[in-house]
Amino acid sequence: MKTDDLIRALAADTQPGPDLRSLLLARLLPALGLAAVAVWLVLGFRADLGAAMLTPVSVARILLTGVLGIAASRLALLLARPEGRQTARLWPLAAVAAAALGLLAWAYLTTPEGARQMAMVGKTMTTCLVTIPLLSILPVAALHYTLRQGAVTAPLRAGFVAGLSGSGFSAAIYALHCTEDSPLFYVTWYGLAIAGVTLVSTIVGARSLRW
Amino acid sequence: MAEDVDAWGQLLTAANAGDARAYARFLQSVTPVLRGIVRAKGGGLGEAGCEDVLQEVLLAVHLKRHTWDQGAPVRPWLYAITRYKVVDAFRARGRKIDLPIEDFAEVLAAEAGPDPTEAADMAKMIDMLDGRSAEIVRKIGLEGVSVAETGQALTMSEGAVRVALHRALKTLAILRERHVK
Repeated sequence: MKTDDLIRALAADTQPGPDLRSLLLARLLPALGLAAVAVWLVLGFRADLGAAMLTPVSVARILLTGVLGIAASRLALLLARPEGRQTARLWPLAAVAAAALGLLAWAYLTTPEGARQMAMVGKTMTTCLVTIPLLSILPVAALHYTLRQGAVTAPLRAGFVAGLSGSGFSAAIYALHCTEDSPLFYVTWYGLAIAGVTLVSTIVGARSLRW
Repeated sequence: MAEDVDAWGQLLTAANAGDARAYARFLQSVTPVLRGIVRAKGGGLGEAGCEDVLQEVLLAVHLKRHTWDQGAPVRPWLYAITRYKVVDAFRARGRKIDLPIEDFAEVLAAEAGPDPTEAADMAKMIDMLDGRSAEIVRKIGLEGVSVAETGQALTMSEGAVRVALHRALKTLAILRERHVK
């Protein structure tokens, strides 16, 4: 087949391609809504949610994980474009991580020595480490599915930000249930749950986002 | 060259809005540049081999044209797809190639003129399509029949022909992926 012939066939195909941003929103928002409903029905929101929303150290959990989710999903949309490899800058993610570590250090210094270990281990570590990854499944899948319809040229990085975004949002939703307000707890265990999900998403993305 | 590049943005904008003629002009105008890149990087493949790779790149550009951000420059987008697909194509043929993206800016378009070579891969892939899809691609591509006339010949509506063509092109990309490797 001559290239001119191929061009003729390509030009005749005028089916418009999908708009990735609206596709992602149409998938991610229901996935997150479902996660919130699941937390509400199965675990229940914390009884003192109203008061917690006025406590800075408690709100910081939702803020940090939410910002992580938003920043990473914006990067995912950038990395869905072929030139995203050059244009996507990952430093906002490092800024979120630095803020979380700063909070951890602050909590370490302000918590009395005898109470530190208890604050860090908490009472709901297992629930946290199980629930956040479970809640992440649909949002991360929504991101991967949308990325596959893009033209990812850095599959590893795209899988990485998809994992951070999905698990960041999921951790923010889990925080509506969780009553552990010490950064010693949540930076450690939310962080570990997010890291686990992100690792899996990165490995899967490196393979599945090639085209 | 600078005029070309501005024109690319306008043509691609019109193309993504469904203007088939603008789209054909876009593809015709980027093809010599892409051919130049592929030949500069893959001289060892021979002319026909390079043309195979070029067609792979064009198919990728086609199927991913919705990932171009209207208003963004076309060149970085186009070169990023080209680079990805060229590296992929060479890897599939058992070669490794190092393609710094900066190099692309310096590659000149291959000399214009009629499309010189018959590439072999695409024809093989078309043979693997189901009968009707293959016929649609051949009629429109090789014979230059319009979508409407193709529909009449196959007693299909124009819309159905377009859908079938789109699916066929997607399938071609998947087949290439599988068979060149």
